[in-house]
Amino acid sequence: MFALETLLLRRFALRHWRLAPRQSLLLVGILALGVAVFVAVRLANRAAVASFTHFTDTITGQSDWIIQPAAGTLPESVLPELRAALGPRPVHIFPVVESTAARVRRTDESAQFGRTTFTLLGVDLIAVANLARAHSANASYFGQPDGTDTRSDFWSAFRAGPQIWLSSTLATSLGSARTLDLVINEQLHALAIAGVIPTPKDAPRVPANLILLDLPQLQRLTGKLGRLDRVEFLIEPGPRADERRDELRALLEKLGTTSDGERWTVTSPGARRDTAATMTRAFRLNLTVLSLIALLVGLYLIFQALDGAVVRRRSEIAILRSLGVEERTIRRAWLAEAAVLGLLGGALGLLLGWAGAQFSVRAVGQTVNALYYATTVESAGLDTGEIALGLLLGLVASLLAGWWPAREAARTPPAQVLVRSASAAPGHGALRSAWLGVALIAAGIVCAQLPPLRFASGGRFPLAGYVAAFLWIFGGGVLCGFLLPAIARVTRRARESSAVARVALSHLAAPSGRHRLAVAALLCAIGMTAGMAILVASFETTVRGWVQRSLQADLYISSNGAQSASSQNRISPPVWRALAHDPAVAEASVLSAYPIELDRTPTIFTGADLRVVRARSDLSWVQAPLDDAVFDATRNATLALASESFCERFRKKRGDTVRVPTPAGPQTLTLAGVYADYGNERGSLLVERARLVAWFGDDYAANVSLFLRPGTDAESLRTALLARHPGLAIYTNAALRSEILRIFRQTFSITYALEVIGVAVAVIGLALTLISVLLDRREELTTLRALGFSHREIARATAVEGTAIAASAVTGGLLLSLALGWLLIYVINKQSFGWTLGFSLPWAQLAALAVTVVATGAAVSYAVGRWGADLPADREE
Amino acid sequence: MNPIFPEVGARWRAIQHSLAHRRNPPVTRLLVALLLGTLCPHSLFTTLRAQIPLTTAEGFAVPQPGHRFTFPRDHGNHPDFKIEWWYVTGHLYADAGRRFGFQATFFRSAAPRGGAEDSATFGSGHIFLAHMALLDTQTGKFLHQEKLNRAGWDAAASPATLDVRNGPWSLRLADPADTSSAPRLLLTGSIRAEAAFTLTLTPAKPLVIFGEDGVSRKGADPTAASYYLTFSRLRADGELTLFANSNTSALAASDSPAEKLRVTGEAWMDHEISSSQLSGGQVGWDWLSVHFADGRELMLYQLRRVDGTADPASTLTWVDAAGKTQRAPFTLEVLDRWKSPATGAAYPSRLRLTTTDPLTHAAVQLDIEPLAKNQELTGALGGIPYWEGACRIRDDSGRELGSGFLELTGYAKAVQL
Repeated sequence: MFALETLLLRRFALRHWRLAPRQSLLLVGILALGVAVFVAVRLANRAAVASFTHFTDTITGQSDWIIQPAAGTLPESVLPELRAALGPRPVHIFPVVESTAARVRRTDESAQFGRTTFTLLGVDLIAVANLARAHSANASYFGQPDGTDTRSDFWSAFRAGPQIWLSSTLATSLGSARTLDLVINEQLHALAIAGVIPTPKDAPRVPANLILLDLPQLQRLTGKLGRLDRVEFLIEPGPRADERRDELRALLEKLGTTSDGERWTVTSPGARRDTAATMTRAFRLNLTVLSLIALLVGLYLIFQALDGAVVRRRSEIAILRSLGVEERTIRRAWLAEAAVLGLLGGALGLLLGWAGAQFSVRAVGQTVNALYYATTVESAGLDTGEIALGLLLGLVASLLAGWWPAREAARTPPAQVLVRSASAAPGHGALRSAWLGVALIAAGIVCAQLPPLRFASGGRFPLAGYVAAFLWIFGGGVLCGFLLPAIARVTRRARESSAVARVALSHLAAPSGRHRLAVAALLCAIGMTAGMAILVASFETTVRGWVQRSLQADLYISSNGAQSASSQNRISPPVWRALAHDPAVAEASVLSAYPIELDRTPTIFTGADLRVVRARSDLSWVQAPLDDAVFDATRNATLALASESFCERFRKKRGDTVRVPTPAGPQTLTLAGVYADYGNERGSLLVERARLVAWFGDDYAANVSLFLRPGTDAESLRTALLARHPGLAIYTNAALRSEILRIFRQTFSITYALEVIGVAVAVIGLALTLISVLLDRREELTTLRALGFSHREIARATAVEGTAIAASAVTGGLLLSLALGWLLIYVINKQSFGWTLGFSLPWAQLAALAVTVVATGAAVSYAVGRWGADLPADREE
Repeated sequence: MNPIFPEVGARWRAIQHSLAHRRNPPVTRLLVALLLGTLCPHSLFTTLRAQIPLTTAEGFAVPQPGHRFTFPRDHGNHPDFKIEWWYVTGHLYADAGRRFGFQATFFRSAAPRGGAEDSATFGSGHIFLAHMALLDTQTGKFLHQEKLNRAGWDAAASPATLDVRNGPWSLRLADPADTSSAPRLLLTGSIRAEAAFTLTLTPAKPLVIFGEDGVSRKGADPTAASYYLTFSRLRADGELTLFANSNTSALAASDSPAEKLRVTGEAWMDHEISSSQLSGGQVGWDWLSVHFADGRELMLYQLRRVDGTADPASTLTWVDAAGKTQRAPFTLEVLDRWKSPATGAAYPSRLRLTTTDPLTHAAVQLDIEPLAKNQELTGALGGIPYWEGACRIRDDSGRELGSGFLELTGYAKAVQL
């Protein structure tokens, strides 16, 4: 029974494709792009989550439990304590020190973004031999395969000083190099390469950016002498493993609990991985929503194109119908055509998406690196699930888009009547109701008031905000159709005389469904594009103001290796003291920062000399302190300042108290004020540095700001300091400001591309609409020609029609963009990141957008009109 | 040159060579050396006393004649010496005729003198190796495990008293300040999650100090010597826990919880301290200790040379009921062999020892028969497989005279010396 459909497809659809290959190709291409964006983002997201590596796994095998302090490090003294507490229990205890390092930045390389952060892992390389895994790996760390070489001597290898083992990937890329230059804290080290990390076949692949050291060597290199980042436990294999594992957990939890809080938390590698996944869930969902918009746009274009095809082939369909082909059959044939298009587009989209993912994976990985944790993203591969998903997406999208045109085609009466109204009403009647539009917008307003979804680990996703955006876009699209008759009325009064205008406006006075759809689509594109532009402009203005106010120092200094939230490179006390006491320095502001976990949610605990902060820079207050106590070291013992994102994340406000874990026991702090900080999404607490140093027993600085004596040349001092401390990164005030803005623009550069694409798609959609409209009206065109209309006049009439559509879409779109901009700034951004931005309109950009859309709309319409004027009355195309 | 035994360079290179072809890791090679040193302690050379230097060429201390031992200090660690070990072997008995053999050994090996600053928690000046083994004669099951750790938080030996640890395993004095010549010892050991034991070891005789004037000489080189302290008869008393193996079935594991056994028995403990051990053209050695029912002990070692003969340095020593030592000539004859399925080594599985009883001056013939054939420590960390196990000692009429512990090295094909 499908024979007929197949025949129809071959004889009917295929012929069209052959006649207009470019059009068909365009169709497949559009669909492919939509699918590709979705697939690329999905792959990148997946890679970002998968790349959270519990690095120790590759060395020791999966630990049963991990103990980790909520803040700071553990003293080595916990090790004998743990062994004594565990008694004769057969448990391997593995202390771990973890840090980061970066390759030295080349002088021509100003970008902080994009440099690989290496994870330095320090484990006891002798004790590793006791594990079953080490036996199977033939793990040998201290020696070389050639037994006759004197350097294979165990002791001299073991005691050779700091040496590193690399992943085979990194070792290969370094070739025959014997040392690797790394910046650890502010020091430059040329570390001897001892070899490749040995792994048995069944072990997970060693991440490329993992560098392994013997534990005490890493302690020495990072200034963590006597300190451990965590301790891992592996029970020995054998009977009652589950029972022993549970018993061990209970024991560790009991040991970790003291009268005034927790000394450590007991987790497992799986739990750590889950935390990483939830930490980025909101971020990943945001990206997915954006990628779905791309697919939606593709859907719209497919719809336009298939609708146009129906119109063009209507006479043929009429003939088929009169030959007795049933409605059902025709519908199926059309849907089959759409399905073939969809599959082709989906397949092409998968390829494009995969190719795109090779870039997007890096981009997403960098962002995750910058905001959340060290990733090891290298590449992304398609799995069968994604292949199926991509094809399905293409198929569903094209079937959805093809549904109405197929129905329309099937309904073509056997004898095609030359009545426009019979065919020109795409969309349901309800879509033309103003009340629907008003209701949608009202529902959107309600949604915009709703709070975000909250995930564990502090993630928030503004679901209601996105729903509101969708409702407004949809509602705006419905309402915007009513602008067309209004424009027609206004313009008709103004230009009573022109026949061309009258012809064009008569169509607009009673706009067809196609007109409404074209306006709605254009409105949607303009609204989203302009809304995004408003967000970016507001963001940029706010950040610029913040930078202006808060960056007052002359020089900013951090470790050359510090480049992201996950980086642990800091400045050692002798070096920052030397910097602070340089004769050219009038005052120095030293910032310490420690990652901590509050209620199992990661955040950052910072310390600075608050008097200097107040005197020298101007914090942007969200809630300013009510008095001066917090800035007075004698009175601020229990006070803290919190960043806005901190308050959003932990639902705190000025006056609330927080109980913060420190190695010296938990501290209860009252929030004296809330400041704006666009630097991190995890939030931060700021206290007097001297106290933080006492609590953490660590005097390393995260960064140092220098205020110079009058008359000192910052640039020449920078050069002098760099010569003394090559492991530092030093920015002058101007350089840092421009660097921040540069990074900012780089981050948002993708949005400019989106704007161009958005407008291009909408204008193409407009052209496709006009083509359908003209095809539908070819009899009228013939009549107009017969009445003496020249080709140019017909083209002008079409141009007027198109321009009116574009103009009403621009009017509505700009209105919509104001609403969307508000929504993005005050709901979606605020809920996702906790950053308050000032509303700022990019007038020039919006005007340029409006003019571009109207102008290109007019030009495209004119071109379509010229083409339409030549249309013969009866023949196809 | 071998870092630990520079004086045995030629043999070391030979081992290294053979091991290199087996792709054994260098850590393994280190431990081969350690074991070679460890397992030939039982040599008692009578050589001319030469001028004895205070230190070896490398700077390690050399055992000095006339050293006045003080206890418990000398039960403890001697980090100035290069190599040191505490070596306990014995037999345990429980109700219903259950019988076990056990071995618990702790080794220390020092890095060359000098070197970089060291961390107390993660030291690099010494490394510690330990072996635990248990034979269940009822099932014939032989369990063993090794541990290797750097000196530091998880492996250490006190320099003040007997307190040596490696991971969860330990050997210490019940009273750390016990100055007597027969202090009580506490041993805690386990084999993975399958067996665990805590034993109190009480000396039945005073400490034996082997050698002349407190020094056990190992060869012509004046530095080749050791302090060699032995508790030849320790009464063992404690608890042995056997855990049901979940391999059989999940149900069996839950049905048969840990089997706790009260055990008593006899043990032997060597503590040897040296900086330089004998070298030679041997392929391996056989070592035996015997607890006779009449209260005496016997200890012998035989160094086997490449040509199959016994090295003249091989010795047999009797310890009488009061703890006095006396040497006697001996011959050792292999009656039967057992081929290890794991390493392919053909170990003697029945030996006949012929010697003279110093009490009667009559020739005696002792048949040495392992309680189980497979008591091989396959040595993943140690690198060199060896056989060390509990034996039954009978006279030629088949009468059981006592129990013994036999150590056989150099039989695995891999170590063709």
